[in-house]
Amino acid sequence: MRPFVALDTATEHVAVAVGDLDDPAAVLASEAFEAPRAANEVLLRAIEEILAQAGIAVGEVAAVACGRGPGSFTGVRIAVATAKGLAHGLRVPLVGFGTSDAVAHRIQQAGLIGVATDAMRGEVYPALFRVDDRGSVARLSRDRVTTPEEAAGEWAALGEELVVTGTGLRKHRAVFERVLGPSAAFAEEPLWAPDGPSLVAAAWSCRDERSLRAIAETDRREAFERAHPQLLLPIYTRLSDAEEAERRRAALPRDPGATGVAGPPEGGGVR
Amino acid sequence: MRIRSMGERDLPAVMAIERASFAAPWSEAQFRDEIARDDRVWLAAEDETGAVVGFGGIWVASDGAHLMDLAVSPNRRGCGTGRALLWALAEAAAQRGAERVTLEVAQSNRDALGLYLSSGFDVAGVRRGYYAETGDDALVLWSRPIRSHLAAIAAARERREMVLAIETSCDETAAAVMRGGCELLSSVVASQVDFHARFGGVVPEIASRKHTEAIVGVVDEALEQAGVGFEDLHAVAVTQGPGLVGTLVVGLAYAKGLAFARNLPLVGVNHLEGHLYAARLHDPALEPPFVALVVSGGHTMLVHVPEWGRHRVLGRTLDDAAGEAFDKVAKLLGLGYPGGPAISRLAAEGDPDAIPFPRAMLRSGDLDVSLSGLKTAVLQYVQRERAAGRELHLPNIAASFQAAVVDVQVAKTVRAATKHGVRSVVMAGGVAANAALREALRAALAEHDVRLVVPPMALCTDNAAMIAAVAHDEIVRGRFLGLSVDADPTMHLRGADESRHVRI
Repeated sequence: MRPFVALDTATEHVAVAVGDLDDPAAVLASEAFEAPRAANEVLLRAIEEILAQAGIAVGEVAAVACGRGPGSFTGVRIAVATAKGLAHGLRVPLVGFGTSDAVAHRIQQAGLIGVATDAMRGEVYPALFRVDDRGSVARLSRDRVTTPEEAAGEWAALGEELVVTGTGLRKHRAVFERVLGPSAAFAEEPLWAPDGPSLVAAAWSCRDERSLRAIAETDRREAFERAHPQLLLPIYTRLSDAEEAERRRAALPRDPGATGVAGPPEGGGVR
Repeated sequence: MRIRSMGERDLPAVMAIERASFAAPWSEAQFRDEIARDDRVWLAAEDETGAVVGFGGIWVASDGAHLMDLAVSPNRRGCGTGRALLWALAEAAAQRGAERVTLEVAQSNRDALGLYLSSGFDVAGVRRGYYAETGDDALVLWSRPIRSHLAAIAAARERREMVLAIETSCDETAAAVMRGGCELLSSVVASQVDFHARFGGVVPEIASRKHTEAIVGVVDEALEQAGVGFEDLHAVAVTQGPGLVGTLVVGLAYAKGLAFARNLPLVGVNHLEGHLYAARLHDPALEPPFVALVVSGGHTMLVHVPEWGRHRVLGRTLDDAAGEAFDKVAKLLGLGYPGGPAISRLAAEGDPDAIPFPRAMLRSGDLDVSLSGLKTAVLQYVQRERAAGRELHLPNIAASFQAAVVDVQVAKTVRAATKHGVRSVVMAGGVAANAALREALRAALAEHDVRLVVPPMALCTDNAAMIAAVAHDEIVRGRFLGLSVDADPTMHLRGADESRHVRI
């Protein structure tokens, strides 16, 4: 057994779990609860508790898997910074997964799943997934930020039935109901945020070169170099307000890129 | 003060302290029964005359060590006796195989709770109505692993502890490794100034993102330069506040994850106290009492330091910090960011008496300052000159503005130093780089036979070496953080503290 810790605080829920690099089906312990604006206070104690429940000493942890958002900027950073400290201190690989992927994994039935996480300011982070008959979840769209109308309109254009879920429903359910009509079913509120097992499932379902699946088959030293804690970054989808405004004025692209910081515009941005 | 085993002969003194400390004290028979038991350790603290001034007891059980009682004589509180007893009991418990300490404390007993929470304990649960006498709730607390904390305290007392410190309170990602609180093995600062400059100030969201990106690399660099690994560390120290909440959170969450991973003690440091300790790093002979002028982009305050770890804020800015005023004036003159160096460079070529900008609150009778009026006066002057079609003489504006800032800071600092009769004044923070302020202050203080201590620039601007320096004293005192601590963006400098009375 090579236990790993999975964590996510991108929404107002804190979710933590212990999985096993040698068994994708295993969830050795998990916990999830609502903790608005308190993630930094409760996260590590929750991890300490589930490790104790699973009878695992922190030094035995072989990898860390962290939800990268999108979600609350500070919430995502609490998970990512904590995960970096944990993985760096243990000298174990740090892998990421999408918070929306974890939310999609909470829906058990086959078919399309639209996740719409609250992005504040009247917007949502939409992401589309398909669950096949064997229960495996495939991601069909990139993370981004947009209005509920636009997300709902795109999903309606697919002309398929789908399940809509995510914390964005709290404010925008009426929009999705209006635009999607009878083709949409809505997940119950307790399913809108990740729970422990969904983190483990989402971490295993990622397919890139720094995913859990990739490092599980690699020796520890090489896995640490490949998924070094330095490399993992949050998914923001938006620039900071300052850079958004600057780029809107200058009619420049507002893609947040890999780091979420655009930097000075080319040719100098000094005003 | 000396801590020793407690026996029957101490019971009269113990009972007096117990009765003075708790509404429902234990009986003498209970103490007699307790101290006779093999699985208990009872310790007494005595003063120079041999009088018992405090005591405590611990029960070493299979699930951990249970702190039974801890109390300090009412007139001897606030001097660290309670914390010394706590760690002595923890050490006795560790020798008997305990890994952690647990206790119950009345929720209303703020002083006791403060002692435990600042010794690395976390609240693990609540027992409603636990105290029958008062109906008060009990909080159940658990310590972090005590051996690593005791090892850090022992190493720090011998000045050989190895500390990794992290600082992310504003726009510098910094890490340092220090041994014994003074031997700086590495100090790495990754500045983000290029990402904020075009906005004329620090953008908190950009700063938070850059810290998240940089923190692991900066720590690795600090460890590598110091030639040490995580396994060589005794503790992780981190800036808890004051500062930007979003940026503090990144450093603190990382430091907590690291401390948890390595079972290392976590030490929380006040950023402003760090600035004071920067002076001690620069001049190890510096001893309190002294007055400190902390001037930076985020802070402008005068502090009296009667001894290390104790502070009284004598005065502060009522609006803008000094560095902020420099930035704002530089922005309105089109000089770019950061404003301090740009203005001081220009000022060197100008006439400080050219424009009579106001010296606000120079005769206010207190030690507060106000800088927003000065900034407005510069703005109005610039608008007037432009309206009149006159070309701006930037060096004269810069020199006159700077002179107004300097005059007020110098006057207030000299008044603070003479009022408190100190022989040393410390100036710290990024604005200490301003040569005009440094020289004017040095000259004015010299007239009163007071010397000025200004750390070199690398220690004046934000850095983690100063955080490590404070951490040394905190470890010696036995002050640590638990894992449930959060950032404190408005954290105050600590005044008198330590335990008052404790009911377990």
